[in-house]
Amino acid sequence: MFILFKLVIYENAILLLKSMEVDRLDGRTANQRRPVVCTRGVLHRAHGSASWAQGETKVIAAVYGPKAGTKKNENPEKACIEVIWKPKTGQSGKQEREFEMVLKKTLQSICLLNVHPNTTTSIIVQVVNDDGALLPCAINAACSALVDAGIPLKHLAVAICCCMAESGHVFLDPSKLEEQTTKAFVYLVFPSSTMSVLPQGSEVKEHGIITSVTHGVMAVDDYFSCVKMGRAAAAELSDYVRNSLKLKAGNDLSKAG
Amino acid sequence: MEQRLANSFTMTVNDKQFIETALVSDIRVDGRRPFDYRNLTIRFGSEDGSSEVQLGQTQVIAFVTGQLVPPYRDRPNEGTFAIFTEFSPMADPSFEPGRPGDSAIELGRIVDRGLRESRAVDTESLCVVAGKLVWSIRIDLHIIDNGGNLVDAANIAALAALSTFRRPECTFGGEDGQELIVHPPDVMEPLPLIIHHFPVAVTFGFIGEENIVVIDPTYHEEAVMGGALTATLNTNGDVCAIQKAGGDGVLQSVIMQCLRIASVKAGDITSKIKNAVESYNTQRSLKKIKRHNPSSAASKEESRQVNPETKSTQQSCDINSSASTLSIGSPEEQSETLKDEVKLKHKKRKKSTSNANSS
Repeated sequence: MFILFKLVIYENAILLLKSMEVDRLDGRTANQRRPVVCTRGVLHRAHGSASWAQGETKVIAAVYGPKAGTKKNENPEKACIEVIWKPKTGQSGKQEREFEMVLKKTLQSICLLNVHPNTTTSIIVQVVNDDGALLPCAINAACSALVDAGIPLKHLAVAICCCMAESGHVFLDPSKLEEQTTKAFVYLVFPSSTMSVLPQGSEVKEHGIITSVTHGVMAVDDYFSCVKMGRAAAAELSDYVRNSLKLKAGNDLSKAG
Repeated sequence: MEQRLANSFTMTVNDKQFIETALVSDIRVDGRRPFDYRNLTIRFGSEDGSSEVQLGQTQVIAFVTGQLVPPYRDRPNEGTFAIFTEFSPMADPSFEPGRPGDSAIELGRIVDRGLRESRAVDTESLCVVAGKLVWSIRIDLHIIDNGGNLVDAANIAALAALSTFRRPECTFGGEDGQELIVHPPDVMEPLPLIIHHFPVAVTFGFIGEENIVVIDPTYHEEAVMGGALTATLNTNGDVCAIQKAGGDGVLQSVIMQCLRIASVKAGDITSKIKNAVESYNTQRSLKKIKRHNPSSAASKEESRQVNPETKSTQQSCDINSSASTLSIGSPEEQSETLKDEVKLKHKKRKKSTSNANSS
């Protein structure tokens, strides 16, 4: 009887140790992202709009364009992308300028800039709530809004965030608290997986990273493990994005008129 | 210059005449009668003090935040509040980013006058240490979709956000009892603001030569109208503010009629806001009950220390959903002993791995 009692305690101790290995505050596993809610056509005046929520982080993006003319310093041979980032409260500061720049460069690489030269497409991003992984959420929202507006794109961009905990574990899609307490985190943007008619027997080409923004210090190996985890998550997320954006296609009349 | 012209919204002569002639027969373009409001929806964000109002096609988001600051010298025992209005470029192609334009400032001023001068928000309760520290409430209004009648929608959003805002509880403690401690929300329940009444803004537009009155104009009607009148009233029958900035001259009798209609509408809107706030508060208290041990406050502290990891929610990975409503966290389980906690975690891990496998 006494021995049985000891065994029960020992078992519980092992279970406790195992459960403490990957212990996230909201009970997710290391590889689990928060549930995503993506809605297109949220606004009436904007040519394209989308709202993207990852857990509690929520961002609304609106697209106006293509409008005539480019700004002074921009190349008139190509279309110009303009990004305006609106924070939840307070004035726009350096952080917002950085987000605008990263978003602009990311979207420039996915838009077909030669289709409408000498035009400007404006993307406005409004932060509704920030609970971690804000920039990836905004990139996803902006891509969905561009699809809603009918701006010609090469492919979609899918963004996720990976963070590196003190213990050496890599977590996917951290919340704000996790972002603030981890050693380092990285925002990664991958092109969405293409579904093209490939000749039989050919392998899917290795897709590159469109954007990578890191905060904090991490070892090179850790970075590569983040990229690996991120790529897997992005492949799954891009399927979700394709399915959700497909549902509403073809019904809306053009608002640009 | 060309780009600005390309951005602005111009109405054709045909559109204008159509709106005016339809109004002669009491018909509005969207099918409403002249004194009907559009559909009003009030939603709240996940945090306290954030609201999202949709009035027809107009959408406004409001955020309320608070900060401890020293008070103004002439009012040492009153808190302050300030309203910041942002006409986001996403609302209308003619809205420029950067400094707020005239209409943004006017809107901010109307909402501010309605709240401040009618003393709707109790500022004396915001005082913490007279002359040294008071709460400064900041209301950010973001107009995200311009479907017309921004003033009314922004006012409702501000009222809804103020009603659900909670400020942290402050007590004196420390060694000498003089140190101010601001308690985070999970230690001590934050307090709501004291709002005496709801000043509701109702906007009227005057269209055409006979100055036909319409309530809650859409942005097409705003482009056609010759003048506008905004009346801010509450359900007690007080007129908190009236704004008629220029435009066509209107008879006194018409203005009196507008005020009478406005008081009826203010009653409707106030009850809608109160219902929405009530259902939000019920949901919020349900969430709180499930999180804490319902036996006593003392064991609240204990259970918080013993089980810091049980503030967890079960979430499933929604792969194929494109729902348009926000999902609220599912119920959480509290456990008393360590053994149960271990079993719980094991169950949750199993569930989440099976979710990942099934996706």
